[in-house]
Amino acid sequence: MNQLIGYLINGIAVGCIYAMLGSGLVAIYRVTTVVNVAQGTFAVMGGLIASSALSFGLPHGLGELVGVIAAGILGLLVGKIALTKGGISPISSLVITIGLAVAAYALEVGLWGSLPVSLAGIRSVLRFSGVAIQDQYLLIIAVSIVIFIGLWAFFSKSYIGLALTACSSNSYGARVMGIDVRRMGVIAFGLGGVLGGLSGILIMPVQPLSFNSDINLVVMGFAAAVIGGMTRFEYALAGGVVLGVVEELIAGYWQARYQLEVALGIVILTMVFEGALNARRGTAAWR
Amino acid sequence: MAIDTQKVQEISKSKSGSRLPLFGAAIALIVALLLPSVLNSANSSVYVYTMLYAIVAVGLSLLIGYAGQVSLGQAVFVAVGAYTAAILSAHGVPTILAFILAPFVSMMVALIVGIPLLTLRGNYLAFGTLALQLIILGVVANTTFLGGSLGIPSIPQLGLTSSLQLGSAKSYAWLSLVLLVGVLIVSRNLINSRPGRGLRALATTEIGAAAAGVPVGRYRLYAFLLSAAYGGIAGAVYAFFTGFISPNSFSVLLSIEFIVMIMVGGSRSIWGAVVGAFVISILVQVLNTLGTLHGLPNSMPAIFSYAAYGLLLVVIIRYMPDGIVAWFGKRLGRLTTASKNLD
Repeated sequence: MNQLIGYLINGIAVGCIYAMLGSGLVAIYRVTTVVNVAQGTFAVMGGLIASSALSFGLPHGLGELVGVIAAGILGLLVGKIALTKGGISPISSLVITIGLAVAAYALEVGLWGSLPVSLAGIRSVLRFSGVAIQDQYLLIIAVSIVIFIGLWAFFSKSYIGLALTACSSNSYGARVMGIDVRRMGVIAFGLGGVLGGLSGILIMPVQPLSFNSDINLVVMGFAAAVIGGMTRFEYALAGGVVLGVVEELIAGYWQARYQLEVALGIVILTMVFEGALNARRGTAAWR
Repeated sequence: MAIDTQKVQEISKSKSGSRLPLFGAAIALIVALLLPSVLNSANSSVYVYTMLYAIVAVGLSLLIGYAGQVSLGQAVFVAVGAYTAAILSAHGVPTILAFILAPFVSMMVALIVGIPLLTLRGNYLAFGTLALQLIILGVVANTTFLGGSLGIPSIPQLGLTSSLQLGSAKSYAWLSLVLLVGVLIVSRNLINSRPGRGLRALATTEIGAAAAGVPVGRYRLYAFLLSAAYGGIAGAVYAFFTGFISPNSFSVLLSIEFIVMIMVGGSRSIWGAVVGAFVISILVQVLNTLGTLHGLPNSMPAIFSYAAYGLLLVVIIRYMPDGIVAWFGKRLGRLTTASKNLD
């Protein structure tokens, strides 16, 4: 029982990371219908830059902030490159984000090497009635709660948030109202960058990242987002947490080496099932 | 309907009517035939890899360029072919039989995963194929029977008959050239056939194609199976040629390399795939030579190739979406019309 509680808390924390990556994908997808393959890159770059900032002597908090801001700027840049003025098909934009993710490898390997880099997080361990939980996992959950409340407030209260929502619900209508849809797309990429950077600095202390960790991160983020149909943040959160918990339970009670495979299998089944459901409803999504 | 078919036929005739590409292909073929006899063994390996890349790229261009399905996990079918060849020949199956079976096993795997996966479209299909590759590589890395993450060493050479063994890089060079030519002939005939036109139609508008009577689902699956078979062929030759395979030989990056190749060459033509494979192979060789120059860190070749793949993909999609062949063709065409106007 105690063991189970430990697995659940770790799973929820890892799931929050997936949800954060997934929300970044959702933020971008809602406005642009582009799936951003470079989402994992934001996490890796954010984490790596934070680790360098800390080793340059910046205090905790500030060093991590530098990483997140850098990831946000990177997000804006990726958005600017992936969304052309003339407009290209979403799948072409997706391929551009693949290109940028691979190009980032060159930078990452050149500056930080190819070995996994860790980040000093909270090292302490919480113990109660025989359960030992690393405090970093609790921190991840706490920060995630704040972030998701912040996201909700941003999209329902702020002007930019409302404009982004307008673009996602009716891009033509938004343009008629004087909203620059491409610019909003770039801003969405920036937001995706911030969310990616946050997930990177939060996961790195418990799970060191190397340059090619981005593929697993983006696929798991996509997994979380896809469970929510790519458009709803709260569903992405739920999807991420479910995936994280399932992964931890598989690792705990069966075999750690199959956790990724099972999670990915769930995702493929979800997508296929969702597609079949849409087809039956007659609202085939021609994505 | 009848009129439409006639029109399409006329268009495809006028396209293939020009003699120039055929002439170019003939010269390329003669050069390719003669090249292995003058190359040293290191360059012969590059030649073999280029041909194998081209075989996979042609399959992927059928899938992406003609059928409009983006697969980010094409390397998985190369892996299936390579593992089939390696495992079967390790268990005493004649290598030639293992070689012939490899593409069929790749097709079988493609059939099993394709039926559910191909119900997905666009972004979802792209991620589905990527996830599939991660799953299969993960399973292979954890299965002792398949060599685990260490891979399978000492795969025997491919023996065409009991006495004729392919030993030298030169013989693999000719074999892979023959296979590429075969793959190109099959693909060209397919494109110019009725199913080929159906494929092109469904890439432009799936609903329209379905309304015009193209069996959309079946054709998408066929294109997927054929591209998997090509991957299987390339994988099998790769396994026999290198003698060693591991899950790392078929990374996600390899799948992305195939995408880069067909985008560089132009995804809407199978010749583009060949040009792309050729250009990328040469480029990677040049970068490797530069990266291993004195005084540079060991990771330099990798850094160079990541930067090249990534930036090329971005530049091509943004500025030359039809690939370099079409881009230069257009520039050349403009030049010749300009000079004609001067006259």
